[in-house]
Amino acid sequence: MQTIRSEPSILILGMGNDILTDDGIGPKLVSDLDRNRIPDGVTFKEGSLGGLELLETVKDHDEVIIIDAVKTGVNHPGKVFTFTPEDFETTLHLSNIHDIDFLTAIELGKRTGMKVPGKITIIAVEISEDRVFSSEFSEGIRKQYPEILRQVQDIVGTLLSCSRPRI
Amino acid sequence: MSKITIDPVTRLEGHGKIEIFLDPDGSVENVYFQVPELRGFEKFCEGRPVEELPSIVTKICGVCPGCHHMASGKAVDGVFGVEPPPTAKKIRELFYMAHFVHSHIAHFYALAAPDFVVGPTADPAERNILGVIAKVGLEIGGEVIRQRRIAQEIQAMIGGHQTHVVMNIPGGVKKGITEEQRDDIIKKAEGFIEFSKFTMQIFKEVVLSNKEYVDIILNGPYSLKLHSMGLVDAANKVTFYDGKVRVVDTDGKELYKYSPVEYTDFVEERVEPWTYLKFPYLKKIGWKGFAEGQDSGVYQATPLSRLNASDGMATPIAQKEYEAMYSTLGGKPVHATLAMHWARLVELIYAAEHCLELARDPDITGKELRAPLGKIAGEGVGIVEAQRGTLTHHYWTDAKGMVRKVNLIVGTTNNNAAICMSLKKAAQNLIKKGTPTTEGTLNMIEMAFRAYDPCFSCATHSLPGKMRLIVNFRDNNGNVLRTMQRD
Repeated sequence: MQTIRSEPSILILGMGNDILTDDGIGPKLVSDLDRNRIPDGVTFKEGSLGGLELLETVKDHDEVIIIDAVKTGVNHPGKVFTFTPEDFETTLHLSNIHDIDFLTAIELGKRTGMKVPGKITIIAVEISEDRVFSSEFSEGIRKQYPEILRQVQDIVGTLLSCSRPRI
Repeated sequence: MSKITIDPVTRLEGHGKIEIFLDPDGSVENVYFQVPELRGFEKFCEGRPVEELPSIVTKICGVCPGCHHMASGKAVDGVFGVEPPPTAKKIRELFYMAHFVHSHIAHFYALAAPDFVVGPTADPAERNILGVIAKVGLEIGGEVIRQRRIAQEIQAMIGGHQTHVVMNIPGGVKKGITEEQRDDIIKKAEGFIEFSKFTMQIFKEVVLSNKEYVDIILNGPYSLKLHSMGLVDAANKVTFYDGKVRVVDTDGKELYKYSPVEYTDFVEERVEPWTYLKFPYLKKIGWKGFAEGQDSGVYQATPLSRLNASDGMATPIAQKEYEAMYSTLGGKPVHATLAMHWARLVELIYAAEHCLELARDPDITGKELRAPLGKIAGEGVGIVEAQRGTLTHHYWTDAKGMVRKVNLIVGTTNNNAAICMSLKKAAQNLIKKGTPTTEGTLNMIEMAFRAYDPCFSCATHSLPGKMRLIVNFRDNNGNVLRTMQRD
């Protein structure tokens, strides 16, 4: 008897604000990913809000890859990181000022019976400027953008090949 | 591939910072609240066609984008010397009621309820929305998510997108509402009313039936006697979308009532060297420092201020709850900071009821969506009530309608002085010399400003997100004695 295996539902989500200099790098990267290298059925979205709004965005997917900006201030702009949910332990369960944090939102979804992603990966790019209104990247990010895109494309490809192994 | 531990959802490094200065004997001498600055918004807008601004401003704040879109749309109407037709105004207002419903629901369950349902000094790991639903029931958590989502669906249906709203154009709205959409919104609004009433019931059962909580609200270190500001309709009832700005004094007597275009005669902004955020005050009284009382120029623009500044609510259930609140708290005006949570729930009921009223209004499916544009006036002011306070957009353009200058006074900015004063009062009462400052104490200080539902992202012309809060305790030489951080 043949076993029918359904493909996991995967969302690639770019987060950021495209009028705050480097902050918009997440959505820009998502729009520039080479779709020919990404399997059919993967959904692409853009967003800028965390908490409950993010829960609504990611619900009903099996796996989510979030591409976002990060500003640690101790790494060189353009450095690409990959986070897993384990990295969030220190912020889990703490309330926040405007809304709830992402993992609290995911936990809320789980407890109330929503289908929430079983796997969440965050690809974050260190940026240098997110406090000035501009629709252009800072010079450092602009110059490195092709390399950043290449790295992110590779990471996404690796993640997707793990999720959807070729049989 | 590197790996570090950080919360990337707190993407902006911007954070709120409370600086508490202690005198030599360990008592609180002064408290400063600071927020990071975002730069260049005016320059970003300069030279653009002014009709682009309603869509751009939805990106300056992820927390209340609909409020900016509405204030901006009204300011642009002013620039083009046009008044939208009744159907367009009602469609805008219908969108706006859904915006209030979703925001007030989120604030109550995610931000206000944890302090009361779980407890102000409870373990912070429990003092959050998960702790709330553990106590009130999982199904309530599901309903919070559902009702909030439904409100977002209405906004997306009318506004084109629930966050990046695109509905307002000079003199009206881009598209109308069909009969099918109206029927759908009516059903959804009926659900809002039931859920709003239920939420008020939870508040009464959990907070008002607990003598300790009522005592904290009325007699705790959370009272601030300031003037109250809010938008009112022709009958002096609370309104969010359109009306005159009314200011009542600390005794509840009307000081001023003015049209949005007159705001510069009544409000002025002050700059302090230690923060980027300005301090608006009542111009005719003048800046008298961070002082309470009848002679102070400091005012509040909050849900409670809106109720204080009005003669009542325009819908029946909200009016009943308005009367119940003032009756319980000893009459108008109320100056108890934590009563803002109660006022917010009265407003939630009003928004739900008015949403239903507007959906049932025969005009709402009208076809006249836009008025012909007038001569370009070159200047326009739009004032609405944002969830966090009175929101003003003021634009100047050239003769072709290209932006020359922009000024915004956002909801939270109105309350900047009041928030600083609330924090200082709470800190002075709660931090005792010789007694260690616990996380619970810190939370009770934070409750003083969380009541304002502050959103400093747009107050500093910033974007969404979540602010980390850092509290520095300094000696009177400015040396940091201790730092506490909340994520």
